[in-house]
Amino acid sequence: MTIKHESQKIAQNFYTFAVLLFLVQVVVGIIAAVQFIWPGFFILNFNTIRTLHINALVVWLLVGFMGATYYVVSEESETELWSLPLAKFQFWATVVTITAVVLGYIIMGLYPQANILVSGTQLLNEGREYIEAPRWADILIVVSVLLFLLNCSMTVFKTKKWTGIQGVLLGGLVFLALMYLPGMFYTKSMVKDQFWWWWVVHLWVEGAWEIIAGALLAFMLMKLIGAKREVVEKWMYIEVGLVMFTGILGTGHHYYWIGTPSYWLWVGGIFSSLEPLPLLVMVWDAFRTTREHRQVTNKVGLFYAVAHAIFNFVGAGLWGIIHTLPQVNKWTHGTQITTAHGHLAFYGAYVLLVMAMIYVTLPAIRGVKEFNSSRAYQSFWWLTISMVFIVLTITGAGMVQTYMERLMGLDYVAVKANYNLWFWILRAIFGVGFLVGVGIFVVDYFKLGKEPARLKSAA
Amino acid sequence: MSNKAARNLFIYGSLFFFVIFLALTFDTMGKLDKRAPEITEEVNAGKMVWHKYDCIGCHTIFGNGSYFAPDMTKTAEKKPKEYLKKFLMDPKAVNPQASMPKLGITSEEADKLIAFLGWTSKVDTNGWPPKPILATAAGVAGRELTGGQKLYQSLGCSNCHMVNGIGGTTAPELTNVGSKRDKAWLTGHFKNPSAYVPNSAMPAFGNLSEKELNDLTDYMLTLKQEVKK
Repeated sequence: MTIKHESQKIAQNFYTFAVLLFLVQVVVGIIAAVQFIWPGFFILNFNTIRTLHINALVVWLLVGFMGATYYVVSEESETELWSLPLAKFQFWATVVTITAVVLGYIIMGLYPQANILVSGTQLLNEGREYIEAPRWADILIVVSVLLFLLNCSMTVFKTKKWTGIQGVLLGGLVFLALMYLPGMFYTKSMVKDQFWWWWVVHLWVEGAWEIIAGALLAFMLMKLIGAKREVVEKWMYIEVGLVMFTGILGTGHHYYWIGTPSYWLWVGGIFSSLEPLPLLVMVWDAFRTTREHRQVTNKVGLFYAVAHAIFNFVGAGLWGIIHTLPQVNKWTHGTQITTAHGHLAFYGAYVLLVMAMIYVTLPAIRGVKEFNSSRAYQSFWWLTISMVFIVLTITGAGMVQTYMERLMGLDYVAVKANYNLWFWILRAIFGVGFLVGVGIFVVDYFKLGKEPARLKSAA
Repeated sequence: MSNKAARNLFIYGSLFFFVIFLALTFDTMGKLDKRAPEITEEVNAGKMVWHKYDCIGCHTIFGNGSYFAPDMTKTAEKKPKEYLKKFLMDPKAVNPQASMPKLGITSEEADKLIAFLGWTSKVDTNGWPPKPILATAAGVAGRELTGGQKLYQSLGCSNCHMVNGIGGTTAPELTNVGSKRDKAWLTGHFKNPSAYVPNSAMPAFGNLSEKELNDLTDYMLTLKQEVKK
């Protein structure tokens, strides 16, 4: 596979930025893991490190989606992008904005008093989890996303090939852009603050992002194994439909204990219990399609795509459903059980998705038919085994915490500092394993297609 | 099912569920104010302090946040204001073991933050966080409690102090306090903690009757178990 349109190469800029941020995310993740054992470790406090950890994650995944979308839209519309200079501008504008935000976080971490109020909002850090970026950055991010959506939409309008895949992909991205807005106004009530905050966080990761995942999975299945468009798109509609039918009202599982009325216990309990269903259909879809078609050239791309479907179901689905019922959640809410779910869900649903898209599209962008895939597999196993053990250790810590703190009534700090210490130590060790995987992936990303394909590939 | 039917099901089905979600949101917004106390200017100013120092970067509130430090929803209900204020302004001066760094929170900011936490502690959270089953049961099973033990429970001493592994970690552990302090010290300390421990963040309990002070002191004197580190 080679690219048909020169402007598809823009995807590579976004991928490179994404891959570097992935590395940053995991390095600060390890610092955070050590701070669980030794809180005074490092010049920046845990709050800054964690802000960097989760913001780097969200941004690199979004940037990865953007790169992949430019590639897919051009491919599906069978034309060059509407404006390559605009895409380049949008890329560099994003890089500059993100860099400024990161510098702001670090300054605020070193000098908390620098986070002054400017026209009613904090200058450097809004102090709201995941959407810490200050208002001026929010506005720049919205402008960047609007330019990106404009460019993609105009590309589609050039040839008017409204394929299902790009319709759903762009629909998901428009939904994503809209759902950023509820996080951009101040409310005096912390209850309302968290209510709207969940619109952003939940309707992104359990709504818009899963729609994007459904569309990209369909695209990959079609490209990798030549599956029929009609069949792939029909199942895609069913999957993303079920995502929305369960996920929108599934937001209710965040409205159990934040001061909202008790009918959310019913709404959230019922609909969020159904949320794993579409993820299970995606796994079945990936396996069925793969079985029916056996001529695969890019095996490692398919490997990552199928792994994404499986771990999306395990991380987002299974690790979610274990604590989604209000009867269980009453005891586990706010414990490490949530952290465990967050780690495996983001890894399975989105990290593997963006990595899969990179392995599916990058060879074409670099103009190679075959490439040495041994590092790609190595990195997969380092990442996946490490992540599974990270999640098991945090799940263990969460169970101990739930039992000792919530059921027995021991103090939070006593449980964290004494009874869960070994879990933190093991988690940090597996974190280093994960970093090894990321390191191999980064090397592979930069070398892919730039060395002989047969080199050591038998090993 | 044709592709077009599947597509329409996705689009119109999503809209349908979104409309229901909007209706529930509208209904919820109308009910929230009745489930929480009024938000004064001070409470709002405290919320701004909460955001300024990125408290959510370590703590959780209503169970949402970073899971690195204790949940703050009901803190103001459990810990004395005097303690909270001193701790917020200089955590390690109050509790040398504290992980929390000194962030430069001013006296006024601490007051506002405490007002904000007082507000969150009174929000109707559908019973969250739940009362720990075992700790709640421990006080009523088997034996009769002494007057001192009852006071220790009713005054909420265990929110900050620990005895035999149960209780808070923010104040000194009391498991072995009986072999370290005598009766006069303990009684005097209850009346005016900072006269005995410089910079103490413990509120004075001078309003207790002589009998109550005696009962509580007697209970303290029974705590003589060696603490193994």
